[in-house]
Amino acid sequence: MEKACIDINQLVNVFSNNHGSVYQSDKLNCFYIDFGGKFARFNCLSLQKLKKTVEKIDIEDLLLNTKRADFELVTFNGCEHIYLLSALEIIALKDLLHGTFTMFKLNHLVNDCLYRLVY
Amino acid sequence: MKDLMRIKCLISQDIETLLNQQIKKEAHSSSLYLAMASWCNQNGYDYSADYFTKQSDEERMHQLKLFKYVLDMGGNAISPEVTGIKTEFGGFREVFEDALEAEIAITQSFKNLASRCHKEQDFVTMEFLNWFLKEQREEEYKARRALELFEVIGEEGTGRWEIDKHVNDITYSED
Repeated sequence: MEKACIDINQLVNVFSNNHGSVYQSDKLNCFYIDFGGKFARFNCLSLQKLKKTVEKIDIEDLLLNTKRADFELVTFNGCEHIYLLSALEIIALKDLLHGTFTMFKLNHLVNDCLYRLVY
Repeated sequence: MKDLMRIKCLISQDIETLLNQQIKKEAHSSSLYLAMASWCNQNGYDYSADYFTKQSDEERMHQLKLFKYVLDMGGNAISPEVTGIKTEFGGFREVFEDALEAEIAITQSFKNLASRCHKEQDFVTMEFLNWFLKEQREEEYKARRALELFEVIGEEGTGRWEIDKHVNDITYSED
């Protein structure tokens, strides 16, 4: 999906690092990942699956094993997107997703304190 | 910003992962009990074979109960791959020793899960787990009592035949 199709002002920036950003659309109840030259849409479940898939990649093996390519295909069943990433890019994506889910937890706490627990 | 993850799912990812691990453990237990039933049947311990078949069904029911809970809470329940089931046993007693060991491992796993629920203040899952914690009292009691039959009756002479005959009589009562 091209970035131009989306009104970025309607999105909330959840987390960014030097390599990319994750946005949330409150209107469409979905997320957008701006990473590796792609602007890809994910729902809650697929974003969780992407995180699990990226976390499972053995970076050490990728770097030390001479019998395999230095790149890894990152995708999962039902995912519309495929990322072809180097070890450094995988580390960056891992960091991006880790930060994103930490922000989700923080947002959950804030929502609890400001709205759900105050009547 | 909407709390989308919470809107979608009641349980946290950590709890979901632990529940999926528990689903796998229950599936493993169910298969193990079935392997025990098979061994007992082949070696002429018909009553014990029935006992372990019933235990296998119970573990399967536990697995499905956990599976349904994860789905009902909006999580991703994973149908587990079960491998490495022990099919050969050194003797009649070893089968019951392994059964007790399996129940102890399940209890420990539930305690770990409950501990995580307390840490996250996930009282909804904690309340759900209470049923399993109570169930483990019975499961461990039955497995321990069955093993004690080997001490009480002894394996000599017709001892193993007697033990086999009395395995299904073991019941647990809270009162």
